[in-house]
Amino acid sequence: MMRLWPRSLVGQLLLIVALMLLLAQGINSFLLYRGAQNQNLVEASTAAVSRIAFGLDRQAGDRPVRRGGAMRASRWGRLKYGAESAVTDDMRRMPELEMRAGQAFANMGQGFSDIRATFISNLTADMTGHLIGANRGEWRNSPINRSMGGRAIPNETRGYVIISARQPDGRWVSIASVVHERSPLLVRTLLFQTITIYLLLLVPLILLGRYISRPLKSLTARAHAFQPGEAEELPEQGPPDTRELIRAFNAMSSRVSHMLNEKDVMLGAIGHDLRTPLAALRVRVESVEDERERERMIAGIEDIDHMLDDILSLARIGRSAEPAEPVDIRSLIETIVDEFTDLGHEVRYRRGEKRSARIRETLIRRALRNLIGNAILYGKSADISVEKSQDRLMIHVDDEGPGIPAEKIESMFEPFLRGDASRNRATGGSGLGLTLARAIARDHGGDIMLKNREKGGLRATLLLPAD
Amino acid sequence: MANAIHILLVDDEASLREPLANYLTRQGYKVHQAGDASAARSLLNAYDFDIILLDIMMPGEDGLSLCRFVTGKTDIPVIFISAKTEETERIIGLELGADDYVTKPFSPRELVARIKVVLRRAEKGGKKRAGSSGGVYQFSGWTLKCDRRSLTDADGVNISLSTGEYQLLLALVSRAGKVLNRDQLLDITQGREAHAFDRAIDNQISRLRRKIESDPKNPAIIKTVWGGGYVLAGEVKSL
Repeated sequence: MMRLWPRSLVGQLLLIVALMLLLAQGINSFLLYRGAQNQNLVEASTAAVSRIAFGLDRQAGDRPVRRGGAMRASRWGRLKYGAESAVTDDMRRMPELEMRAGQAFANMGQGFSDIRATFISNLTADMTGHLIGANRGEWRNSPINRSMGGRAIPNETRGYVIISARQPDGRWVSIASVVHERSPLLVRTLLFQTITIYLLLLVPLILLGRYISRPLKSLTARAHAFQPGEAEELPEQGPPDTRELIRAFNAMSSRVSHMLNEKDVMLGAIGHDLRTPLAALRVRVESVEDERERERMIAGIEDIDHMLDDILSLARIGRSAEPAEPVDIRSLIETIVDEFTDLGHEVRYRRGEKRSARIRETLIRRALRNLIGNAILYGKSADISVEKSQDRLMIHVDDEGPGIPAEKIESMFEPFLRGDASRNRATGGSGLGLTLARAIARDHGGDIMLKNREKGGLRATLLLPAD
Repeated sequence: MANAIHILLVDDEASLREPLANYLTRQGYKVHQAGDASAARSLLNAYDFDIILLDIMMPGEDGLSLCRFVTGKTDIPVIFISAKTEETERIIGLELGADDYVTKPFSPRELVARIKVVLRRAEKGGKKRAGSSGGVYQFSGWTLKCDRRSLTDADGVNISLSTGEYQLLLALVSRAGKVLNRDQLLDITQGREAHAFDRAIDNQISRLRRKIESDPKNPAIIKTVWGGGYVLAGEVKSL
């Protein structure tokens, strides 16, 4: 159902234009049809009016009926004379027709004190002998006409017009006339017209649309695949608006690249120039006599070093020199788990089926280390399991801690925010652990998810595209 | 102090170099300092050094180039001192002939411990370093690449190893068929990593087996020699 609405700019434009055209053609057809119906009505009443005028003329001239006249009279329908009008009071009268008839009679020198006209769908019994125009289509449908290229029209009856006029002597003369149905020729003409308009309008529109949308498409692709430091500019093409947009995009991407390069230079400076004085400090600390004081200073320096490490890693995400390679996930987890168990932490992992993923190992190690470190810090222990579903690999790290209130889960990924909301150094960490882990996972096309477990505790999941 | 170990300390940062030289002097070493590579070269010509502590990132000729010069001409062991960046980690992975490395900021005590290990190893076996750089070994379907410190299986999937496990495996693979006892293994592998002392060789062997043996309880690749130590069984191809 949703597919009916096109998603592209050109598709939507075309659909709207097509729909509007259809609507316009519909209205057009309706008006034409109405006009044609009206014309038939007028045609029928004109025939009736002239029949009345002709009949009265003949009566007035008292001319003998010509040869064949009787037959013709019966075929053409005879006038009905009577004290009452054939258009009775219960019939809906048509003032417009009456007015037209009055004018016609006046033009022919006939004067009537009253004229009545009506349209009925079924002929009343008293008028059956007084009907004209019943066989109008006969000639048109005759083989002669057809062989000469004339078009056939169906001889269908829509209804009847009755015209009734009051003579000066007070008697009414009435006649009925057939109103024909309009031919389907109209529909065919309209159809032909519509198709012509569609072709004339839509073909250039499609071409124009492609002219506009192709540069937009390549711009979109470029924006998606944007890599800082890309030297090649996108060629300017399409209409002026689009060219301007592409120019602006090119300028923006070169600005972004420039800024990122500056950032790299700055980070390199931080990494090198900050660590050297830190190292000097670390050496000098050794000459501090008070052992407790010395240990504290060493811990402080190590904290700064770790924080520096996290910040630098986070800033370098996506620009790693390390290539992604297929890595055995089991051994990866085991290596990290061993690191933690060697430090006396409770981390459990049972080797399962062989799984591999294309990853940058040092980065994923780091992300996993952060997740396990959090589990130990807040949940005392960590349970690690691997799950594969379709093309995704999930590494779960479960702890037995208090979990996180559901509304706070997403904010855990914000930099420098810790679960306990306090910044005391006792809990350790730079506050970048989860931010960094998620950045690493997303750089691999995966993600990190946090979820409170039903049995209590938190489950952190590292999601990776499986090999 | 005549027999004191003679150290050449090369770092462009005087703020680190001087306190470190003082510390090492207090620890009983004889220390000469150089602020850049050319000063280091002239000192190398003037004295016989037992070990060189070398900063990688220096203006002018960098530590890597100097290291190549030193290891090419002499047997003097080198320990890199570097600010940890991704680049230096990669370079160190390439094993440019240095015997060890520490990253800034480092513990001076740990540095001294490493100096001792490197010197002891140098004394025992001359320039015997753990594995030739750039070597590739193939054994029982596994491929061990020294330049990248990687172990891959028959499908080309990398197996993650800790530094200690890698050192241990390299020691066994490069001496395939030779039985190595725990002391020998400890000697070959330690010094690379701070915690190497804390870990029993047996523990690391069992972790290594879990990763590479199809049945770790019944090992076919790393075999235990009763009363002796461990040996790598099967054929090893050195490429």
